[in-house]
Amino acid sequence: MSQIEFVLPGQVVKDVKSVRGVTILGPGLRQNEDQPNTICVTQPGKLYFKSPNVYWIEGNRNRYIPKKYDLVVGVIVKKSGDMLKVDIGSAEHASLSLLAFEGATKKQKPDVQVGDIVYAKLLNAHREMEPELVCVDSYYRAGTLGVLSNDGFLMNISLTLAQKLLDIQNPLLRSLGKRFCYEIAVGVNGKLWINARKTKDVLNLMKVFQITDQNAKTDLSEVNKSIL
Amino acid sequence: METELTKSTFSCKLGILSRPDGSAILSKDNTTVIAGIYGPIEVKLQKLLIDKASVECHYRPKSGLPGIEDRMHESIIRNTCEASLVASLHPRTAVLVAIQELQNSGQLISCAVNAVCLACLHAGIDMKFMFGAVTCFSNGVEMSLNPPAQTHIKAVFVFVFDSTEKRVIASHTKGIFTKEQFEEAVELCRSGSDQVFDYYKKVLTN
Repeated sequence: MSQIEFVLPGQVVKDVKSVRGVTILGPGLRQNEDQPNTICVTQPGKLYFKSPNVYWIEGNRNRYIPKKYDLVVGVIVKKSGDMLKVDIGSAEHASLSLLAFEGATKKQKPDVQVGDIVYAKLLNAHREMEPELVCVDSYYRAGTLGVLSNDGFLMNISLTLAQKLLDIQNPLLRSLGKRFCYEIAVGVNGKLWINARKTKDVLNLMKVFQITDQNAKTDLSEVNKSIL
Repeated sequence: METELTKSTFSCKLGILSRPDGSAILSKDNTTVIAGIYGPIEVKLQKLLIDKASVECHYRPKSGLPGIEDRMHESIIRNTCEASLVASLHPRTAVLVAIQELQNSGQLISCAVNAVCLACLHAGIDMKFMFGAVTCFSNGVEMSLNPPAQTHIKAVFVFVFDSTEKRVIASHTKGIFTKEQFEEAVELCRSGSDQVFDYYKKVLTN
């Protein structure tokens, strides 16, 4: 993985590497029809390349665009029949079936109310269609998915911070664990749910994430040291 | 003839508003505008387009309610955004542009357009190209990119250019001028647009 340069929309990247005519483009890039072997940039940010043929842009996007198989945190906003409408921060509310929970049948449905928070997986995310969520994996097991406890606290963070927190090599959550006893669910949609034994701990954790978000450019471990 | 835009007159700050996805405050020669972008967001049924995102623009003047002239500013900005944003990526959604005028010293349209472009860049919304607007003043004999000290202005030209091929994507004129003067103004503004794009780059890389 290597960073090439800072790019702006409209810029054309030349000499694109491809394998048997195939180049994999990530977010912020578009095929350039006018010239072969070039790509068009559509988002400002840092251009990255991973050999042999993957390109993507890392910028700061604030609005979540649903992607298939993303793990998200959402709030139930509507309940009608067997279908739930979930706010996941995208343009359209996602739909979640009451039968898509572990152990749910037509007769025995889970107790989910409007205002509840769910940790779910995107089964389907196409720009022409409403996004669809499930709370089970392909073996109908819930695993970590499902309704999150009402004792917890939901907060919004930037998409970049959510991605950084989900990075397994990120030391922030681990070092916070030495100090506090807490439960956390991070959605790639920039929603974060925390629960701790004491309200004071929740407030402290909230403050940590807010400060980290503001200092997004600086190194996370540095911020971490200053807080703890 | 003044062909150089004085660079130091631009000042900008990104992300000053917390609610919008992208926001910018831009000031140039005592003309100041705040722009905010929301998008892609949920769309009203009557404005829904099945093949692309619809662009909505709300312009607020310094005081009072928006009037007819403000509606025209809205339409210029909306058309510019429609040309620049990759609307087909997000069908059945809306992109909302909100602009608040704070100070006006004669370059309001170009300042508003540039603020909207910076807000779009801050929001990280997909764009085909960036756009930059330049205002040109004519006193009948000479052209200038900076507002002249004396008040004998015969015509004002505003042109919006794209960042890739420097094509004109919007134009707005006021006053009396000849065809030659118009063409001269286009070329002068085109040369001035480079500085606007350089400024965008400087703001974003910092």
